[in-house]
Amino acid sequence: MFEYEILVVILLISFMGLIFTGFPLAWVLGGVSFVFMVLSLILLNGFNVDTYFLDDWNDFGIIVDRIWAQMQNWVLVALPMFVFMGLMLDRSGVADRLMANFTKLFGALRGGLALTVILIGVLLAASTGIVGASVVLLAMLALPPMMDARYNKSLATGVVASSGTLGILIPPSIMLVIMADQLSLPVGDLFMGAVFPGLILGALYVGYVIIAALIRPDIAPAPEKAGHVGWRNVLGVVWSIVPPLLLILAVLGSIFAGIATPTEASGIGALGATVLAAANRRLTLEVLRRVCRETMLTTSFIFGIFLGATAFALVMRSLGGDEFIGGLLTGLDVEPWVVVLIILFIAFIAGFFLDWLEISLIILPLVAPVVKDLGFDLIWFTVLFATTLQTSFLTPPVGFSLFYLKGVAPPGITIGHIYKGVVPFVILQIIAIALVFWFEDIVLWLPDQMYNSTR
Amino acid sequence: ADAADRVRWQMAMSFPSTLKALADTAPWVAEQIHTMSGGTMTLQVFEPGKLVKGTEVFDAVSQGKIDSGYVWAGYEFGKLPVSPLFGGQPFGLTPWQMSAFMLEKGGQEMMEEIYAPHNIMPIFCGVVSAEAAGWFAFPLENLDQVNGLRIRFAGMGGQVLQKMGAEVTVLPAAELFEALEKGVIDATEFSMPTVDEQLGFYKVVKYYHLPGWHQQSTSQYLYVNLDKWNALDETQQGILRTACTAGVAKSMARAEGLQGAVLNKFTDELGVEAITLPDEILRELKEKTDEVMAEYSEKDADFARVWGAMTAFQDENRQWAEKGYVQPGWMSDAQGD
Amino acid sequence: MSETTPAHSESAPPESPYGDDGRDADGLPAEHRMLPRTRPSNAIDHVIMRVGNAASWIWALLIVVIITNVTVRYAFGRATVWLEELQLYFYAIGFIVGLSYAITWDRHVRVDALAERWSRRTRAWVELFGTVFLLLPFSGAILVEAVPYVRTSFTLNEASSSPGGLPHTWILKSFIVWGFGLIFLAGVSRLLRCTALLFHRPRPLW
Ligand code: NA
Ligand code: NA
Repeated sequence: MFEYEILVVILLISFMGLIFTGFPLAWVLGGVSFVFMVLSLILLNGFNVDTYFLDDWNDFGIIVDRIWAQMQNWVLVALPMFVFMGLMLDRSGVADRLMANFTKLFGALRGGLALTVILIGVLLAASTGIVGASVVLLAMLALPPMMDARYNKSLATGVVASSGTLGILIPPSIMLVIMADQLSLPVGDLFMGAVFPGLILGALYVGYVIIAALIRPDIAPAPEKAGHVGWRNVLGVVWSIVPPLLLILAVLGSIFAGIATPTEASGIGALGATVLAAANRRLTLEVLRRVCRETMLTTSFIFGIFLGATAFALVMRSLGGDEFIGGLLTGLDVEPWVVVLIILFIAFIAGFFLDWLEISLIILPLVAPVVKDLGFDLIWFTVLFATTLQTSFLTPPVGFSLFYLKGVAPPGITIGHIYKGVVPFVILQIIAIALVFWFEDIVLWLPDQMYNSTR
Repeated sequence: ADAADRVRWQMAMSFPSTLKALADTAPWVAEQIHTMSGGTMTLQVFEPGKLVKGTEVFDAVSQGKIDSGYVWAGYEFGKLPVSPLFGGQPFGLTPWQMSAFMLEKGGQEMMEEIYAPHNIMPIFCGVVSAEAAGWFAFPLENLDQVNGLRIRFAGMGGQVLQKMGAEVTVLPAAELFEALEKGVIDATEFSMPTVDEQLGFYKVVKYYHLPGWHQQSTSQYLYVNLDKWNALDETQQGILRTACTAGVAKSMARAEGLQGAVLNKFTDELGVEAITLPDEILRELKEKTDEVMAEYSEKDADFARVWGAMTAFQDENRQWAEKGYVQPGWMSDAQGD
Repeated sequence: MSETTPAHSESAPPESPYGDDGRDADGLPAEHRMLPRTRPSNAIDHVIMRVGNAASWIWALLIVVIITNVTVRYAFGRATVWLEELQLYFYAIGFIVGLSYAITWDRHVRVDALAERWSRRTRAWVELFGTVFLLLPFSGAILVEAVPYVRTSFTLNEASSSPGGLPHTWILKSFIVWGFGLIFLAGVSRLLRCTALLFHRPRPLW
């Protein structure tokens, strides 16, 4: 083990220790990077320790370039827009009615609210690939009514976190775009390949909620108000879900009709929510002002994490962290399918510490040629890898979806509830990974149909 | 050399090395440097984004934040308008003409001079084949179609098209594929056939337009932070220069070796139509290109100097290029294809 | 809220009149008050609140720009690169100014599974150490590093490299400096509130 690799290990451990002090995650990430920058320079100059590429104060300055890259990342424009949309829906009263009526519709079914969340999560996923946006949006819309309905806090947060994370897998997906870019694969094939794994996950979530609600009715109670669903009732429900349905239609429709890109569609969603608020006579200057301010706060805490993470990754990488993790993967002399399993396992574990972007930057370019040489289909492997990384959003202690959720959860919901709530969903994720692993066609069938692939 | 003379540098890339011919020369060059130096010089490849984005390598090398980069000159267009002349620009030089210009006609020296104030030593380190003129949802048959054409087109070529009335966007690459598939835009330029194949544009639109008027060759450079360069001894500098010249030969051969088969595959197996831009459009493109070049020459002295030298060489070389080689198209005619 | 609560009290922080917009009577955020207020920190916080409040309108503007861009392209078949880039400007300025705003509102995510069981003084110590060794050096170093970065852009008169893009890129780049300057200030304010609780300096106001 090289000296700098020991530093990497200490870096990871310090980070894990420090986040539990309760100091804001964003500044722990950024601050630890700074501390290790300084520490490395001291060790190098004072004690002649090999600190790999972290040998000059200038190296820290790269963070400024990386912040600039974040400011130039067009696709992330969708994040504040979806946050705005969620907040405006909340203020407009549309969200309440939507939830209430969906609940009526699913009234007979225990766990109806949770199922609604999953359904909306899948729809949202089809319009954005920015997990922060969808988790926050779902949390704002769904957590308050779930708390009112006396849902178990862990179940509620688990459903919201995992449904909100589907967006990274179901196209459009920024994660798949980046992976396509890294491996020079056609992004269309990856998008199509990820559709069924995403839907299977959605289905697994639904199945779990239904079963859990049957076994333990107290964690997902049927709403007290839900009565018999008569014809008049149905009409009322249908009528009240028209506006939000129109909104979803406007967002998805503008993408599929070629009017707007997914990023621009988020702006259409934000405008649509504002129009709905106006139609409900809820739109005042004061409402707009508060929605803007809250958008600012929510967006910024998410970007704080992004910036901290980019600094952390840079310092870890400059200390040879990539090669360190890569070293774990090379020199494997086992059956091909075991190699794939080991890669996924390491990606899964890395997900405890790092975000998906860094994991894909570290591992994908390293393993893709290996996997290809072993005779596996790269589209299949990449989607499988993406599904694994999607799981990493949800794995405690460092699961970014969990943090986004914590940032907007009503008081009384602790990170502990969230950690606990997500466990069953992580298990479901692993089941989905196993399915995709064994049945290649879950990934490959759709791209073949769509593009007549000549792989 | 003892351990103190060892070179261990970061080499940041502007394109991922998985892109065939366009970017896989860089690791090869790094390997040659390592071998030639007997293992005392390591240029470690960092894929785009690992340290900085491909477009930011110029800045980072200039400020000494990273030691070196293997990049397309032209990303620094916003700061250094002359840069795309070295990277590849409308109606510019072919790969072998570019090699002649850089290695034999003073291009390298001119570039070193221009980049020195930015604290960068640029070394000509690779040149690849022409790009294609782009993927279109319909065949481009006349000038009228260019007016109002919604096309993604970066750089100087985009300015030329704007002058012709095209509606040019610079949608993020991340949304390009979908935008084309769903019809948000009509067309996009991208790269050489090998790269276009890897990215799968043929799956959503079927009209592939040629020739690549906007980029007849794509040149890449090893940017070295000037202080780092000056700290090298002559042997080390020699190794870098030699490895890069080898990189030029290697990349040119590799790119030219691969494109033909891919273009054939597009047309013969994948149902793509390879469309030659009508003469009318090409002429108009050339005319507007001259306007754009004149505007930049007026605004920027370095631009004027390099563009002047390039066109002078192009003119000098023209009679030879047109008479010395069997003309493109003649073979097909003669064989009745 | 009682002005008389002793600053070194170990009891729960005094409840603040939590208005509908989540602000105290003095206009500052009514976080579930862990730390006392002080005069100097109030001054800083007022600045950050004002900047943040003003900047938050940028999200409404962003919607307008996006919709204009889509409409112009779809309905009139026109593409405007500078309008595309303006989206980026608004988004980037919004989040980078917002970072300090979120500090003042104490909205950055904390993993407080353990911390919520600790006493107020312990948490203030953690906050003090975190601010001194993590937040302030990090934001300060970025601030220092960003200045030459912006200056280069300014000297070279950097413009967008897209056809028809926006000129004067340094304006947007300079927001790294403004943004992190505000973050640093917000950090100093929190630091003062920690020392007020722990050492009574500056004088806590609650
Ligand atoms: Na998605
Ligand atoms: Na994780």
